[in-house]
Amino acid sequence: MITRIWLTFKQHRFETIAILIVCLGLTGATLIEAYRLNSLNVPLSCLAAALGGGGPFAGGMTAPADAHCLSLANSFSSIQGSVDMNLVRLLLLLVPLLAGIVFGAPLVAREIEQGTAPLSWSLSGSRRRWLLGKVLAGVVLLVPLMLAVGLAAEVLEGALDPGVDTHAAFQNYLSRGFIDVFWVLAAFAGTFALSTLLGRTMPAVILALIVCFFVRVAWEPGMARIVLRPMAVEQTQSSQFGFYYGGGPGIAVAPIGPTPSIEPTPSVEPTPSVETPSIEPTPSSEPGGSSDKSAAYTPYWVQTDLYSYTQVFLNGKPFYGDPWSLPGYQMQFDANGNPIQPDPSTMPNWVEYAVPGSQYWPVVALESGFLLLGSLIFGAVALVWVDRRRPY
Amino acid sequence: MAVVAGSSIATAALVAHGLSKRFRKKVALDSVDLSVPAGSVTALVGPNGAGKTTLIRVCMAFERPNAGRVEVEGVDPWRHRSEALRRVAYVPQTPAVYRGLSVDDHLAMARSLHSGFDATYARGRLDQLGIPVDQRADTLSGGQAAQLGLAIALGTRAKILLLDEPLANLDPLARREFIQVLLDAVRADGSTALLSSHIVTDVEDACDRLVILGGGKIRLDCPLEEARRTHRLTEADSPPAGATAVGSFLGKGGQKVMTLWRLAVVDIDGADGQSAAPETTSLEDVVLGYLAAGRGTAGLQLN
Repeated sequence: MITRIWLTFKQHRFETIAILIVCLGLTGATLIEAYRLNSLNVPLSCLAAALGGGGPFAGGMTAPADAHCLSLANSFSSIQGSVDMNLVRLLLLLVPLLAGIVFGAPLVAREIEQGTAPLSWSLSGSRRRWLLGKVLAGVVLLVPLMLAVGLAAEVLEGALDPGVDTHAAFQNYLSRGFIDVFWVLAAFAGTFALSTLLGRTMPAVILALIVCFFVRVAWEPGMARIVLRPMAVEQTQSSQFGFYYGGGPGIAVAPIGPTPSIEPTPSVEPTPSVETPSIEPTPSSEPGGSSDKSAAYTPYWVQTDLYSYTQVFLNGKPFYGDPWSLPGYQMQFDANGNPIQPDPSTMPNWVEYAVPGSQYWPVVALESGFLLLGSLIFGAVALVWVDRRRPY
Repeated sequence: MAVVAGSSIATAALVAHGLSKRFRKKVALDSVDLSVPAGSVTALVGPNGAGKTTLIRVCMAFERPNAGRVEVEGVDPWRHRSEALRRVAYVPQTPAVYRGLSVDDHLAMARSLHSGFDATYARGRLDQLGIPVDQRADTLSGGQAAQLGLAIALGTRAKILLLDEPLANLDPLARREFIQVLLDAVRADGSTALLSSHIVTDVEDACDRLVILGGGKIRLDCPLEEARRTHRLTEADSPPAGATAVGSFLGKGGQKVMTLWRLAVVDIDGADGQSAAPETTSLEDVVLGYLAAGRGTAGLQLN
């Protein structure tokens, strides 16, 4: 088997070397970027004062920053927004998928295109064993490389979000850590399945790129809204006319300072809110706050929860009709032209649910499991099809 | 001894019964019955599109037959692929080599894929031909690449060799070398070879049996010598007594329409069993006659 793995690398030497260079280069670049940020040693108070944090309404609540503090914070901010940093972050997002596609596409298709499949298949009694040898080569190459990339991305995330426990927040959670390994496996398995089905390299690459793009874009909202609903807890409530605040990807609702944590209670029944909603964050709107670090300072850009879904309640019961048709939303005026306070029982109550950061590890484990399941299904499709297809 | 065309003379290494293969509307093989005796070198001859490649691919389990069955040493390749492929080795028409791999890498790959692969034997064959094993396979000449394919096939030590027009892209010298290596190996190992080709002169000296395939059907299946002795080529208007016309085609020089006749068995066997018809017809004429029969003679008539 070692001979076959080695020969697979030799046969696909261009792809192997390209993936090695890109992954090792990206790992190095990511660690350098993290080092640049960490070496600034910016105190959290400086970042909090200069950049704000803890939510869109919490900026400027800390002590005034001195000039040095501001300078450090500005340096931090400029590195954070630099072109090279953005390029590294973009590559961290794309490389797991691209590496899987690049190695997976020619695996079977090139043998068919170059007419070598009949030679191999006539020598090997089992085509499945032949394919497994090639797949194993892909796994041996991609898994350690992507683990290195993912761990480097984890280090960078810690540097980008100072004071935040990156394992209790969902900022870039799909492109760092060991989940990268499962992304590359899914892309690799999906692409070599396409390669086996189509028998052509370029069509397999193009189709895999399209599928990976849509899956990657739809993954986070899809998982949060469909699969992760049991983990979601109540985040915000509002009955104001079309207005709500907090929650949602990229919008933190934690204020500066210690925040009370809430237990994830999936079946929270909201009480009907009849008061005019306040824009002040309420304790029930906290996103978990499971770590002391995030309680101390949460940069405004950190995604502390996963927006899951919104439910409309009326008199404490789920309401599935058109909330805009309720009488509470029809503005009434008295004879003097003053607005009449609507009947509270006719006012709908919007409640947003999100998966809190305290559920980070269960979420990552679940989503990794889904990616692994997808990889196994793609692999099974390829193994079945390679046994049935023609070698030309 | 009466010579009966198509008779099975020994234990069959490869047998096809009512084998049919269709690609959408095109019929590639039409109820083919074939028996290749063990230890024989059989030439499978026919025009392009006759079904030669399809027949070999079915034997290699690359294609699934629509009807009928094929057996290699009694094993159905489609149902028991791994067992069948232990008994058969394959040499494709176009030398299939991995571009980035050396000759030695090919042998290593064959050894890793085929449990009984004899790399020493294959390397010895290549050494005899002066093909360096450390050379990259994509830098080999066409003849050397074909020899590499043959060496890999021989290295499997399979009892049946299926060669799908391996001579088609080779120059005359390379063709002769290829045939020689093949014959040496087959004679030494006692294996069976089915050599597909449309170059009749190449297979004439190498094979001991002839199968002519045309339009997906077996047109002739007999020992090579019998094919020569049981056919006569004459001008169209002078048939031998009791002979059956096979097909007409333009003779050499393109001046006359010649007709191939198949003689009755009684006409070629003497009372003492000695041939009463020592003169023979060239294999090329026999093949041309059957190919013309498959196509019809309309296009071959002189104006």
